[in-house]
Amino acid sequence: MAEQFYTVASDSETTGEDKSQPSLPDVAIGIDIGTSKCSVAVWNGHQVELLKNTRNQKGMRSYVMFKDDTLSAGVTGGAAKENAHEERDILSGSAIFNMKRLIGRMDTDEVVQASKTLPFLVQTLGIGVRPFIAALVNNMWRSTTPEEVLAIFLLELKALVEMHLKHPVRNAVLTIPVAFSRFQQTRIERACAMAGLHVLRLMPEPTAVALLYAQQQQQLMHDNMGSGIEKIALIFNMGAGYCDAAVAATAGGVSQIRALSGCTAGGEDILQNIMRHVLPNFDSLYAGQTVDRIHSMSLLRIATQDAIHKLVNQETVEINIDLGNGHKVSKVLDHSEFEQVNRAIFDKCEKIINQCLVDAKLVPEDINDVVLVGGCSKIPRIRSLVLGLCKKEISYKNIDALEAAVSGAALEGAIASGVNDSSGSLDLLTIQATPMNLGIRAYGDSFAAIIPRNTTVPARRDMLFTTTHDNQTEALIAVYEGEGERAEDNHLLGYFKITGIPAAPKGTVEISVCMDIDAANVLRVFAGVGKPQGPAIPPFIEVRMPTLDDGHGWCGQALAKMYGKTLDLAVLPKKLQP
Amino acid sequence: MASFASTAVLPTCGAGCGAQRGSRCVARASLVAAPAPATARTHYEVLGVGAGASRCEIKAAYRRLAREVHPDAGGRGDEGFIRLHAAYATLAEPDERARYDRAVAVAAPVRSRAAPAGFRQRRWETDQCW
Repeated sequence: MAEQFYTVASDSETTGEDKSQPSLPDVAIGIDIGTSKCSVAVWNGHQVELLKNTRNQKGMRSYVMFKDDTLSAGVTGGAAKENAHEERDILSGSAIFNMKRLIGRMDTDEVVQASKTLPFLVQTLGIGVRPFIAALVNNMWRSTTPEEVLAIFLLELKALVEMHLKHPVRNAVLTIPVAFSRFQQTRIERACAMAGLHVLRLMPEPTAVALLYAQQQQQLMHDNMGSGIEKIALIFNMGAGYCDAAVAATAGGVSQIRALSGCTAGGEDILQNIMRHVLPNFDSLYAGQTVDRIHSMSLLRIATQDAIHKLVNQETVEINIDLGNGHKVSKVLDHSEFEQVNRAIFDKCEKIINQCLVDAKLVPEDINDVVLVGGCSKIPRIRSLVLGLCKKEISYKNIDALEAAVSGAALEGAIASGVNDSSGSLDLLTIQATPMNLGIRAYGDSFAAIIPRNTTVPARRDMLFTTTHDNQTEALIAVYEGEGERAEDNHLLGYFKITGIPAAPKGTVEISVCMDIDAANVLRVFAGVGKPQGPAIPPFIEVRMPTLDDGHGWCGQALAKMYGKTLDLAVLPKKLQP
Repeated sequence: MASFASTAVLPTCGAGCGAQRGSRCVARASLVAAPAPATARTHYEVLGVGAGASRCEIKAAYRRLAREVHPDAGGRGDEGFIRLHAAYATLAEPDERARYDRAVAVAAPVRSRAAPAGFRQRRWETDQCW
C-alpha cells in the first residue's frame, strides 16, 4: 500500500535542492503537524532547511484524501496538476483533516463536538469513548481514526524527506500544542510508529520557537552585537487549532522555559464563529450530512475563510455567496464585528498570556521581546492584544511566523542527535517545564497536585497521603493531569491499587506517592506504604504513565462510582508529616 | 559585591558562557571544581557560589552548571540537575533565599565546624528584599 505514495513523490519538477548534502543519516528531522498546514525541516550540516513538496510549498495542507482504493495526503496534494486537490475537493467529505484537533479526544470533548460541522463524518455518543470518524468514498462513509489518518500523512511526509536526503529517515522531533495531554502525546507517538518514525522528542510549539530565539541571541553575542545579558521573551503561538504562550529566559545559549500555557482556540474556532454569524441557522441547516449539504457548507467555509484572510489587510470585507437551495449569504463584515463575534477566543488568549506572566513571576516590563508566531498571529486584534498585554509597541522581527516551530524542531533534532557544529550554533540547551498539574484523586473527587504546572523538568516530587477509613487495607491511586480543581475535570492517565495496607485507625497510615518526570518527559509514579515500615509491608509499585489506552472518560466515572468512597485517600496534613 | 566564600570566581551574568562550546559532549561534574560527595551540601555549595553571591551570579552559575549536569547536555541521570535546580530555585527568589538562610543559620551550631564561620551568613541590610 505504501509504495504508491513513493512513486508519486518522485515527480519532482520543482525541487531544485539537489545539491549534494553532507550525509547525516542519524539526524532527527523536525516536523510541525499543524491543524491546517504541516511542514518539515532538516539540519543540513550548516543550518536548518525547510523542505518543499512537488508543488513548491513549504507549508503543506494537512489532510488525507480517501478515493476508491487509493489514499493520498496533503504532502503531495494529489501531485500531478490535473489531479491536484482543490480546496473544494478537500471539503467534499472525502478528505479527513483537522487530525490534530481530534486525536486522542473523547466524544464528550467540546472540540470533538465542534468538529461535527466538518464535511467528513464525526459521530459521537457522548459517553467518553473515541468518536467515530469516516470519509466519504463512492457515496459511502468509510471509517478511519485520527491516528491512521495522521500515520498516512506522515508516511507521505517521510517519503518526501527521504527523496530529498537520499537516505532513510528514522528519527523525528515533533512539535505539539502545550494543551496536549499526555494521552494525546501517546497517540501522536503511535501514529509516528505506524509511519515508521521514532519520536525522539515531542516539543511544545512555543518551546521550539524559544530554541530558535535562543540560537539567534547566541549568534548576536558571537557577532558582538548582543550584550550577553539575560533576555526574556514571551512567545505567543496561534494556529488553526491551538493557541499557546511561553515565557523563556535566555542567556549564553541556555534557554529556560519559565512558564507555559495553552488552550484549544484557533483559526478553526474563528472560522466557525464567523460562519455561524453570517448564517444564523447554520447548525439546523447542516445537521445530518447529505452530499448537497456538504457541498453548500464547503462553499460557505471557503468564502468565510477567504473573508477572514482579506480582513487582515482591509477595513471591511464582503461575503456574497449562493449556497444553493435558496440559501444566500450577503454580508459586510468589519473589524469591530469580527472582534465582537470572536470575543470569547480573544479572552482565552488574554487568559493564557496573563497566566504565563503570573506563573513566570514577571510583569510586562520584564519582557524584552514578544515573539508572535502561527497563522493567526497575523490577525490585527491578536497582535494588538498580545503586544498590549506585554506593553510593547512592536513584535520581534527576526522570526518567520509560519516557519519558526518547525525550524526549532529541526534544531532540537540536530542537538538531540548529538550533531556538533563547529560554529557553535547548536551549542544550545533548553530547560523545559511541564505545562500541566500532575496529581492524584483524593477526598472523593478532589485533585491533589503533586507536580504543579510549570515545574522545571526533570523533576521529582512526592506527597504523603493517608487512609480515610479505619482498617482500610486498599487504596486507589488514580493519576490525573490538568488544570481542574476536581479530578473529573482533568485527564485520567492511569490507575492502580495499593494493597496490603496494615489495619490501622484512619489517618494514621502514611501512603507515599512520588512522581518523576525524566529528561525524555517520561512520567513515572511510585507509590506504597511509607509508614509503618517492616517486612509485613508490601513493596512499592512503580508505574509508567499513561497506562490507559482508550475510553478514559468513561473509565474515570466507573472508577469513581465503584471505588471512590471505599478506596479513597486524603492528603496527610503537614503538621503530621515528619 | 564582596563574596564571602572563595569557592569560585564566576563570570558576570551571561558573559563567558558562550565560550563553553561543545560542553554538551564533555560534561560531567568532574569539570566543576569537584565538590565533595553530593550529600548534605548547601545550596550555595551546589551552585559553587559564596553566601553573598548576587542574583546575577547565581543565575550565571546555574546556567554554567546546567550545561554540565542536565541530562540533555550529557549529564548522567536526573539527580544532578534536580539538585542544581532546587538550589537555584531557592536562591534566585529573595523570599525563599531568606527563609533558607534562616533555616541554615538555625542548624548552624551543628554544622559550623564543617564550614568556615560566616560562610552562610549574609549581610541582611544590603541585599534583602524588604
